[in-house]
Amino acid sequence: MPGNTKKIVREFIIDSFLPFAEENPFEDEDSFMEKGIINSTGMLELLQFIEETFEITVEDEEVIPDNLDSLNKLTSFIESKLA
Amino acid sequence: MKFNKNVLAIDCKQEIERICGFIRQQMQSMKREGAVVGLSGGIDSALIAALCVEALGKDKVFGLILPEKESSPVSREFAEKHASKLDIQTEIVDITSTLKAFGSYKKRDEVIKQILPEYNVNYKIKIVLPPDLLSRDAFNFFKLITEDEEGNRKSIRLKKKTANGIVAATNTKQRIRMLHLYYFAEEKNYFVCGTTNKSETMQGFFVKYGDGGVDIEPIAHLYKMQVFQLAEYTGVIKEIIERAPSPDTYSLPVDDEEFFFRMPLDTLDLLLYAWENKISLVDICAVMELTEEQVKRAFRDFTAKSDASRHARKMPPSLKADNSKY
Repeated sequence: MPGNTKKIVREFIIDSFLPFAEENPFEDEDSFMEKGIINSTGMLELLQFIEETFEITVEDEEVIPDNLDSLNKLTSFIESKLA
Repeated sequence: MKFNKNVLAIDCKQEIERICGFIRQQMQSMKREGAVVGLSGGIDSALIAALCVEALGKDKVFGLILPEKESSPVSREFAEKHASKLDIQTEIVDITSTLKAFGSYKKRDEVIKQILPEYNVNYKIKIVLPPDLLSRDAFNFFKLITEDEEGNRKSIRLKKKTANGIVAATNTKQRIRMLHLYYFAEEKNYFVCGTTNKSETMQGFFVKYGDGGVDIEPIAHLYKMQVFQLAEYTGVIKEIIERAPSPDTYSLPVDDEEFFFRMPLDTLDLLLYAWENKISLVDICAVMELTEEQVKRAFRDFTAKSDASRHARKMPPSLKADNSKY
């Protein structure tokens, strides 16, 4: 699963938050918040998805932009939890 | 004007004249005969009542006090005391039975029971955002704080479905109040006077078709700190001025800072002003003694909340023709 992390999360984000978007609607390093891709409610949904899909627990103090606010950051964060 | 810590100071006399002129002009254009004000026991509605009395005279202002079983008891007490000082007619309508009939408490409690099976009606609750954004970065996520009969507290981060369920049920409190305000307004041929200030409007800290469901918003151009200035000037009772602003919709006390704003209100207002007026980061940091990182973090939060609530500040989008008035 780790090798597929980025692909799995990208598909979830597109399906959940950008269902009518054209192909490749954001780059791996784009900020979800600054680009308006995910709002605070969406962030809750994203958290739940990664906790359930990757069977990890995200602590409150880890819910910060440095860990979650781009596909690259999110992938690194998930993979560090899985390591 | 150069950005400084007193940039939100206003000429109270002049501002009151301007607002009173606006209230009179709006009432005339709507062909109404007075104002209905929902008195929450907080500073915004207390100021609005005072301004309406100044603009229209006490006989044309009707105060509605709309408590429910989870309201703080002092809310009603302060609202009555201020209305008495203004010498306006009031009516108290306890909305608990209406909320029960709608199922507001039951729906909310069922959602909470799903994540906390031992929860019962004797528990007290509130929801809060992560505290002190300027000291510690964090995204906005709601935590449910519960307190059992013995005073033991638990804190649970809410998932989307649970957060939405609690918020949806709780927002019926403001929406039921709106129904009552409009009942009395139509019955008297009055207008419903809104009480939302600029700090709230910019970030969407109001309930669409709840406290946002009104006919006019006379203080929506004023930051909270300016509301305090006018409240002092117009003689709002000191109990209300000294009370920490609160949504007063949960059984545990919660103030506006921990529920929504995540920073002290005076800091919030200066940063909101700087954000809206595109003051340079260098000037903001120098005046407010903050780091660039702190200011950027606050601005990110403002942008997120403002974007998320844009729909609530607008009429519903439609496909009306460009040249049509309707």
